[in-house]
Amino acid sequence: MTRALLNLALIAMFAQVPTKNPPNLAGTWRNQYTPNLADALGKEPPYTAYGAERWRTVDTAKDPTGFCLPPGPSRIFTSPFPFILMQQGDMVSFLFEYQTLWRAVYMDGRPHPADIADYSDFMGHSIGKWEGETLVVDTVGMNDRSWLDTAGHEHSPKLHLTERIRKISADKLEWTATFEDPVFFTKPWSITRTFTRFDDSKDRIMPYTCTENNRDVDHLKPNQPNLNYKYEPEKE
Amino acid sequence: MFRKLQCVVALLLGASVLSIPAAAHHSFAAQYDRSKAITLKGTVTKLEWMNPHIYFYIDVKEGAHVVNWSIEGGAPSMLYRNGWRTDSLKVGDQVTVDGWLAKDGSNLANMRTVTLTDGKTVFGASSGGDTR
Repeated sequence: MTRALLNLALIAMFAQVPTKNPPNLAGTWRNQYTPNLADALGKEPPYTAYGAERWRTVDTAKDPTGFCLPPGPSRIFTSPFPFILMQQGDMVSFLFEYQTLWRAVYMDGRPHPADIADYSDFMGHSIGKWEGETLVVDTVGMNDRSWLDTAGHEHSPKLHLTERIRKISADKLEWTATFEDPVFFTKPWSITRTFTRFDDSKDRIMPYTCTENNRDVDHLKPNQPNLNYKYEPEKE
Repeated sequence: MFRKLQCVVALLLGASVLSIPAAAHHSFAAQYDRSKAITLKGTVTKLEWMNPHIYFYIDVKEGAHVVNWSIEGGAPSMLYRNGWRTDSLKVGDQVTVDGWLAKDGSNLANMRTVTLTDGKTVFGASSGGDTR
């Protein structure tokens, strides 16, 4: 019994030790375009009654990115544009072609700011750590003005996003995103996608200033594709 | 025979473009009607190689009148990776555009493919990969 406790204590101590030589994930990567997260999940997410009603009535003409608003921290990883991953000291950063946006991941052990809920934003606030060979990114502080995908899955400001990124071969990263949001979903759910190395010797990250010539907004018409959706709560 | 072959190649290229997702910017079905396919033949009057999607304009003869149509494509970076360049379409080029009509009834279409008079098909990279 005592030995078991000692082992547990040792494991706990080990878990706190940062990975000394984290794997090098840096580079330019092409992500896997996923306009509907339910396709990756294999079913609709585990909605609350409220979340299901929002999905049933969503009008895709109101997609925030159609108005050039930022896509949020996870949708940008499922949009069909490449990104650069940088690792420098206590910071991991993502530089995205899509909308010329960036995400900074603080790796120095700091917590999220205590007042982050008062200063929420589209892309949220991210802190990270290494769990062995896996980069784990924890993000909160997202407002509810972004959607999770083009299909129209939405979320509340209580969204808590956990991303796990690891190298599965020299030219592939695996990205698993877990969505927790008690307003929209009864339990956490996850999708996994693969990023493929982008050959920037032959190609390059290109400009994307969304407001440059966004003529589409004048032509959007109401579009509610899910009005026949029937909510069936998931059984435990 | 050769022309027929060119047409078949153009169609195959067009079909392959359908599998290339391009937009992500917003829902295709909020702007275009997938059930309303259209073919437009006309002369290029202007190209806007700009984000979030390129637009170009063609004069189309409709009876005794000439109507200027707006044609929307994919994002410039997406088109670049699919082989387009800023000079792929030039003012004065005669083109045939296959695409889908806008839902709002305006003279606007989303391109699936653009075919030049020499039969060369320019990649569409439309936003039709997402039909919701």
